[in-house]
Amino acid sequence: MNMLQNGSIFGPELGVLVVLIFHLLFDLFQKIDPKKFVRSSVVGLLFVLVTLVQLWPHTDLSLYGMFRLNPLATLLKGIFTLSGIGVLLMAGEFSEKLGERANDFCLIVLTALFGSFFLASSNDLITLFITIEWITISLYILTSFLKNDLYSLEAGVKYLIVGAFSSALFLYGISLVYGAVGSLFFADIKTFLATGTSSFFTVGFFLILAGIGFKIAMFPFQLWVPDVYEGSPTPVTAFLSVISKTAGFVALFKFLFLAVGTEWMNCPYLFLLLSPVTLIYGNLAALRQTNMKRLFAYSSIAHVGYLLMGIAVANRLGVEATIYYLIAYALSNSAAFLVIVIANRELGSGEISAYRGLAKKSPYLSGIFFIALLSLGGIPPLAGFFAKFLILNAAVMKGYFWLALIGAVNVVIALYYYLSVVKEMYFSTKQTGGSASGGKQPSSKDEIQLSTATRIFLFCLAAGIILLGVVQEPILQLVRLSTAALFLP
Amino acid sequence: MTGIRGAMLNLLVPALILLPLAAAGLILLLPPKRDFETRAVAIFTTFLTLVLSVILVLNFKPEAELFQFRTYIPWVSSLGISFHTGLDGMGVVMVLLHGILSFAGALVSRSINQNVKLYFVFYLLLVSSIFGVFSSLDLFFLYLFYEMSVIPLYPLIGIWGSQNREYASMKLTLYISLGAVVALVGLLSVYFMSGLQTFDLLVLQQASFPTQFQFWCAPLMIFGFSVIASLWPFHSWSPIGYAAAPTAVSMLHAGVLKKLGIFIILRVVLTLLPEGAQLWFPIVAILCVINVLYGAWAAMAQKDMKFVIGFASVSHMGYAFLGLASLNELGLTGTVFFMFAHGIMAALCFALIGFIYDQTHTRMIPDLGGLAKQIPFISVCFIAAAFASSGLPGFANFVSELLIFFGSWEIYRWQTILAIFGIVVTATYMLRMIRNVFFGELKPEWNKIEDARGFCGKLPYGLLVTILLIFGLWPSLLLNIIRPSTANISERFVIANVASANHRPNDVPRGGEK
Repeated sequence: MNMLQNGSIFGPELGVLVVLIFHLLFDLFQKIDPKKFVRSSVVGLLFVLVTLVQLWPHTDLSLYGMFRLNPLATLLKGIFTLSGIGVLLMAGEFSEKLGERANDFCLIVLTALFGSFFLASSNDLITLFITIEWITISLYILTSFLKNDLYSLEAGVKYLIVGAFSSALFLYGISLVYGAVGSLFFADIKTFLATGTSSFFTVGFFLILAGIGFKIAMFPFQLWVPDVYEGSPTPVTAFLSVISKTAGFVALFKFLFLAVGTEWMNCPYLFLLLSPVTLIYGNLAALRQTNMKRLFAYSSIAHVGYLLMGIAVANRLGVEATIYYLIAYALSNSAAFLVIVIANRELGSGEISAYRGLAKKSPYLSGIFFIALLSLGGIPPLAGFFAKFLILNAAVMKGYFWLALIGAVNVVIALYYYLSVVKEMYFSTKQTGGSASGGKQPSSKDEIQLSTATRIFLFCLAAGIILLGVVQEPILQLVRLSTAALFLP
Repeated sequence: MTGIRGAMLNLLVPALILLPLAAAGLILLLPPKRDFETRAVAIFTTFLTLVLSVILVLNFKPEAELFQFRTYIPWVSSLGISFHTGLDGMGVVMVLLHGILSFAGALVSRSINQNVKLYFVFYLLLVSSIFGVFSSLDLFFLYLFYEMSVIPLYPLIGIWGSQNREYASMKLTLYISLGAVVALVGLLSVYFMSGLQTFDLLVLQQASFPTQFQFWCAPLMIFGFSVIASLWPFHSWSPIGYAAAPTAVSMLHAGVLKKLGIFIILRVVLTLLPEGAQLWFPIVAILCVINVLYGAWAAMAQKDMKFVIGFASVSHMGYAFLGLASLNELGLTGTVFFMFAHGIMAALCFALIGFIYDQTHTRMIPDLGGLAKQIPFISVCFIAAAFASSGLPGFANFVSELLIFFGSWEIYRWQTILAIFGIVVTATYMLRMIRNVFFGELKPEWNKIEDARGFCGKLPYGLLVTILLIFGLWPSLLLNIIRPSTANISERFVIANVASANHRPNDVPRGGEK
């Protein structure tokens, strides 16, 4: 009985593992078409989703207290799985560029996904560190996956150096915290802080924060983002901006709310300062971008600013808003990147100007992109709007009117660059000769053909974006139930 | 019997919002290249919403409770958000205005030939969200519909617009959105300060807010929402936006969207933050005079007909703000009636300019001339619109402007005198435009242009002129409906004045001083 129960709480992890090993072995013995490979692994992940739904809202503790199953973990695993499906489908669309090694690519994505599941359930700093590293090391491989592409290699090296540096900071911070507390369990750290603090711990706290700051691209640690995002293969960019970022925020949540605790939070002014600076930096830098992936790199920094705003508020309302925002962001960004992968392939260029007239070539793709962009921009009645609404509301409810005002004004700045993309897609139907700087002219005027799986997934994402913006209550309940775990006494 | 009928009537209000949405979905599902069916669906839907809004107006009982036809559905109960719709007198009048204009707009959209499907999807989204703003009694949904109405304008102007459309649509969207988000912070602050955990307007109206809070929160909302009403100095998006927009969008924008800002200020700011409004409205009263005079003078200098009407509408919105700033029943009633009259008039002007442009492919006044001989029906309509615009008795605009001036005279003497002077300027540029476009020598290149033909061709223009005349000759039809709602708002200020007078006996209310 006990065994069974213990076994079933690992259902989702085992599911991913089975999908991973099955495909690994299958790939060893028989070469199959990447498209089929992607399709079968997506089907596998759909089963994982089912096991996740079954586990809701189960709570359990296992592996000597290192593995905590709770609604928050299950919800986050759901987000990871959905985004993982998105990345796999992108890899399928991208498989021509990945060439023979497309299947390996998918396997590494699955590996990283496996790691992210343990991250969502981590209950102490060492598991947290290992699982984050797990994802990061997968990304070292993925960012430099196109061996013949200089940009990809550059991205890989940059990410490697920055990633290794941040991991070192993170680990050093953990060792200092261990020195001060004598344990790495979140609960123990909280107990320690209840009685007092030490300078060791304070230094450790900031080092860990810096380590996580690199992963989520928080303000002074965001400089690597544009180059890495631009150079990486597009599915990896999506992975970085959705899964890796969500993972970073999970780590931040766990560390801040489970270990450090809201009362202490050292200096709440820290996030009150970092959030608007990150927000404004990302938005202002995004204004002048001409490359689609670079635009999304900077805009993702801006989104980090909003997410940090929820953390700066440091209460349940703020965290709920942040998790809602993460879900909305994952949906919208997955949809956007899937479109970018296909469009970049078909248009032969990643420049924004190459998107000119996309609406003519594929009304479906551009329609989805339109919805995703408006959702990211925070336009009602889409998911992004309600997420931003919750964040601003949380800020106002705490009395940070000025913070809410900064957040609100930034919505308009972001709207400018998102609408500029819409403008290219819809407004300019006439092809003007050499305006596309460096990029190839669109190869043909044919309509872009989409595979059924991609079509369905895009439709589901768009429907989800609209649903989250209109029928907010059910998701909000889910989020509320799951964040309760972060605020245990 | 009445119970069932009442329930059915209540359902009509959400139906106004949902019908255009459903039609937009239907059009999306239609196979491509079915332009005729698409148009038919759009015209039929807007006609249906017009019929529904007429039914609502006819069934509205001014003597009964303030908000009628109410529907209440809890939406996000943990945050106190509910889908709460209902109409008071001014709401029902604005719904009627929007019903008329969206139908007329769908009719004149015949000149749209490319990408018809997408055009009507965005058009119907716009129509739906504006109905939402007029009928929402929940601040969350009010804001949601408000912001939702701004976004379709971007593709509508950008894709189907004319000169300078990319710049104009971006400027318009960003300006209005900026105003909206600033106002959103104000709305959230109200939610926070009330401590009632609800966005329901009727519940929030019971709360009272500290004066200090009202002082800084009111401007967020007043100036945030007045961007869309093109209060000087936030007006610069307006003329170029109208010039670039396709005809139906100019009609809806100048006719209805511009009124959203004033409508929300009336409904939300004046009822929730009366003290804040009183503190800031003297400034609005000065700004709106600049609106009137600056807009009028700018209109004088224009050569493009759409720019003339665009600046004229900036100028005219000054009157609406003046009535608003007067904060008494006369002025507020005048403002609401003015919004109705001006909406019909501005839409009529844009529709007629659109017609002329489709025929001649120019809107430049010097290029035209003598058109009255070729297109007598259009000319007569345009002359009627120009008369209405310059406030000639017999048209609804005259009555409403009169009410506004009566209302504002008590408080803002100089501003009223200057604003009345604006009417003279309006008459000057409108009549000058009529002379140069419709009279004089007919240029040979316009020998072949044709007048509006057939019932459907004449319907949108004839309908709008008739409405202007009907309510100009018999204004009490609408005034009786409007008055209870504006009286309810102005009473708050009488009470507030008395209260402050009691507090500080030396401080005589402004109105009595002069």
